[in-house]
Amino acid sequence: MSEHMDPPRIAVRLLEASLPPTQEGESILGDLYEEFGQRAQHSPWAARLWYTRTVIGVAIRYTGQARKYKRHQAHLGVDARATWEGFVDSFVFSIRYAFRRLMRSPAFTLVAIVSLGLGIGANTAMFSLVNAIVIRDTPYENPETLVDVYIAQEGFSHATLSYPDYLSVLEGSTDVFEAVEGFQVALLQADTEDGVETMLAEAVTGNYLSVLGIQPVIGRLFTDEDHVSPGAHPVVVLGHGYWQRRFAADPGVIGEQLRLSGRQYTIIGVAPEEYAGSLRGFVPDAFVPIMMVDELQGTGGNTFEARGNQSFFPRARLYPGATMAQAEAAMARLSGELREQYPRFWQESDSFVLVRTADVIMNPMIDRIIKPAAGMIMVVVGLVLLIACANLASFLLARAADRRKEIAVRLAMGAKRRNLIGQLLTETVLLSAVGGLLGVAIAVQSLRWLVNADLPLPLPITLDLSLDQTVLGFSVLVSIIAGVLFGLVPALQSTNPDVAPTLRDETAGGGRAKGAALRNLLVVGQVSVSVVLLVGAGLFLRSLDASRHVSAGFGDEPTGLIEINAPTQKYTDEEAALFFEQLKQRFSQIPGVQSVGYIDNLHLNPLNTQYVRLAIDGVEPPPGADFFTIDYADIDDGFLDAAGVPLVAGRAFNPSDVADGEPVALVSEAFVSRFFPGGGAVGSTIVINDDATRVVGITADTRVRNLGETPRPFIYFSQRQSFSSYGTFLARADGDAGAVALEMMSIARALDPEIIVLGSKTMQRHLGAQLVARQLGAGVVSGFALLALFLASIGLYGVVSYAVSRRTHEVGIRLSLGADATSVMWMLTRDGMKLVAMGGVVGLLIAAGLSQLLSRLLYGVPVLDPLTFLLVPLMLGTVALAASWIPALRVTRIDPVGALRAE
Amino acid sequence: MGREGYLGEFEQMLLLAAMRLEDEAYGVTLMRELESRVGRSVSRGSVYVTLDRLEDKGWIASEISSSRPERAGRPRRIIRVTREGVAALQKSRAALLILWDGLEDALDAR
Repeated sequence: MSEHMDPPRIAVRLLEASLPPTQEGESILGDLYEEFGQRAQHSPWAARLWYTRTVIGVAIRYTGQARKYKRHQAHLGVDARATWEGFVDSFVFSIRYAFRRLMRSPAFTLVAIVSLGLGIGANTAMFSLVNAIVIRDTPYENPETLVDVYIAQEGFSHATLSYPDYLSVLEGSTDVFEAVEGFQVALLQADTEDGVETMLAEAVTGNYLSVLGIQPVIGRLFTDEDHVSPGAHPVVVLGHGYWQRRFAADPGVIGEQLRLSGRQYTIIGVAPEEYAGSLRGFVPDAFVPIMMVDELQGTGGNTFEARGNQSFFPRARLYPGATMAQAEAAMARLSGELREQYPRFWQESDSFVLVRTADVIMNPMIDRIIKPAAGMIMVVVGLVLLIACANLASFLLARAADRRKEIAVRLAMGAKRRNLIGQLLTETVLLSAVGGLLGVAIAVQSLRWLVNADLPLPLPITLDLSLDQTVLGFSVLVSIIAGVLFGLVPALQSTNPDVAPTLRDETAGGGRAKGAALRNLLVVGQVSVSVVLLVGAGLFLRSLDASRHVSAGFGDEPTGLIEINAPTQKYTDEEAALFFEQLKQRFSQIPGVQSVGYIDNLHLNPLNTQYVRLAIDGVEPPPGADFFTIDYADIDDGFLDAAGVPLVAGRAFNPSDVADGEPVALVSEAFVSRFFPGGGAVGSTIVINDDATRVVGITADTRVRNLGETPRPFIYFSQRQSFSSYGTFLARADGDAGAVALEMMSIARALDPEIIVLGSKTMQRHLGAQLVARQLGAGVVSGFALLALFLASIGLYGVVSYAVSRRTHEVGIRLSLGADATSVMWMLTRDGMKLVAMGGVVGLLIAAGLSQLLSRLLYGVPVLDPLTFLLVPLMLGTVALAASWIPALRVTRIDPVGALRAE
Repeated sequence: MGREGYLGEFEQMLLLAAMRLEDEAYGVTLMRELESRVGRSVSRGSVYVTLDRLEDKGWIASEISSSRPERAGRPRRIIRVTREGVAALQKSRAALLILWDGLEDALDAR
């Protein structure tokens, strides 16, 4: 620890507040600070703990000890001095007194604290998540003049650009944009001491970091000098996290070499910690010049010439004074020119779209799901908090009613109402403060769990889920407001100066407290909110279940996957093909493996879709275009078998489909019903990218882009005729797919250590990525709904048991007159269940209305799903019955004679 | 408060520690002296409250001294045992010695 640590700020504040503002007080602060410094050298954590504990001790001792007699007066609420000392005294005393009172009924206190803790914890955790994804800003310079550039295409409202498109924007917009920068995501293979690792990188233009206004921590960032010609700039800027992780934040890394995808790169700088990349959630390990991207990826692609290769995210900086409208006009003009110049790539309906960078979270198309999801989660946890607060309020009302007598006595003895209210408020605020602390602890723990959760995502997502000041402030505010709000009403009620009636009333016992109606209303509210949440959870679970039962049309059996790239610098296509044959040979020898295949872009890859231009004689192309765009993949002869995609008609690919033979293709059933509704697909000729191609077979449909889609037309080409050195190998096995995937990885690495392995996983995990959003949605909502039900049950339990205790006298009379215990219990339970029934009906009505809003997030289940709307009331009824029956059981233990005599 | 009489145990310990430390007696060093020599952890709160009481009674005098960097600009309160303090110590010691006299063997034997 080179830097000097400071003690916890809250503790310092507390100490400052409780010490007199004299030199003596100052010296105590200094002493503890000095001792903290000494302790922090051994263990910063222990030191912070020690400091906090000591401060609390000193604060209480120092202000309490010396002024014993004043305390007594404060206790009675007779004399509260307006002086500073008097204030601190009565404050500290109030807290101690409140603490003692709360400890006197530990069950009540525990329930209240746990209710609030869960409510606040859920809110804080989810707010942190939403904050990390949606709210937290990226530290760009003048974000208001930054604009994202996309292309609106058929099927994609905001598609990325190709590098040549970027150049066109750069040249054609000099009147509105001061600069245009951009990046694309690249996966690199880095050599480490113990093997190789895959790094997530942003391949960026030379001006990228400077246009955004990002300053390096050490070294330098890229300049236009690093953006001259392809392959000529082997330099790298490290991401802050990677620098810390791999190099232990060593400032000496500048000038060191890093071996990336088989070539030495010089480290020139480190990006700042605040800058976590341009795509939220995907924190780059490194930044490399875009000029190196083809070499690094080893795909043999020609990023700089291929207008169809759309992987580039450009961003532009508006000239000072230039408006969005001007920029949009300029881009519309440019879109027109490009449509004319490149009709191949720019269809009639294609055009540039501009979106302010500040308004984009990840990509406008993804944001359309993220934003309502975030909103929904906040509503859900807000409702949970509401229920928790209702519990708190309900308990406080009950307690206030119980303490009316005590308070009346104190009022009668001359205590000031103001002081008594202060005392009661202190109790609630203390409760909610402890609840808030518990909530923060719950939030921290659940966020930690969330960060470490192993989700089947295609790329690792890194979110900064630390509690920041906003989040902490939010929780503190919520706890305090909850405390004051729900403490004030009962406090005002119970300190009503009309003392005499209370004193008289209380001895009579049976009378209903004023708060009862309010408490009943709270329970009805809680139940209806729980019902709304339960219905939401039910719908999400049903939706998850429905999508689980959707077959992707492939990969139903255990299958190991490995994604491999044979770098084009090292392998010619022929060599790569040979190498792949070797790999398949070895993979098929893994014990348990039954079938091995290869595909260049496995279906349901969320990161990549690829399509070809299709024309068919006699079929009219879509309006405004000369061709259809159809998704495709290149496969080897073994793929259909390994993936479990049935051949419906014709033949599969076989060795007779040679590279220079007639181009052949397999088409999906959806393709046939779209283009050959009258049959005759097999044997027909279609035009693919201007080449006549013969259809030799028909396969069953698979899901291609996502699980929810209706089957879309799809074409397979033979790998022999259209080779890709980048793709996924599949090994279908009758055993543990995970073990097979690992074995595939070690075989590939052993065969060629320089081969780029982009990942190895099971088919189950690959398909799981499609479900992860639904799983998370269903998990989160049902978790919170159960929490809500639990909290509402506690509330109900409280109301019924309070009613039971209030009616002890009445119950005693009934029992002594010969009433049967069971019927008395039913009488008590019935009151609780009436509230539940009311709340249930209200909740179902609200849920029926609100569920319409969920329709976009649901899949394969009607918004008024009968099963959900039937099961929820049933579940609620059962839980509610238990919650009100248990306290009612107590009447059986009532001794009738004792109950009567007690009065 | 005008309470005369003998020193409490904790008061004695504090005064003795302050005398041992001579010119270097302030919060941190006092605490360390007590904890290292007596081997028992001391509540900071009681130390400060007791020091205030000792000063009220006139048994110690304190003087605010300049800060050091490790104290974040906060002053030190240097403690000095006054003549009255020394007298009170002597009185307490004498009283204790008289009461102890003849009991050492009995207690040691245990």
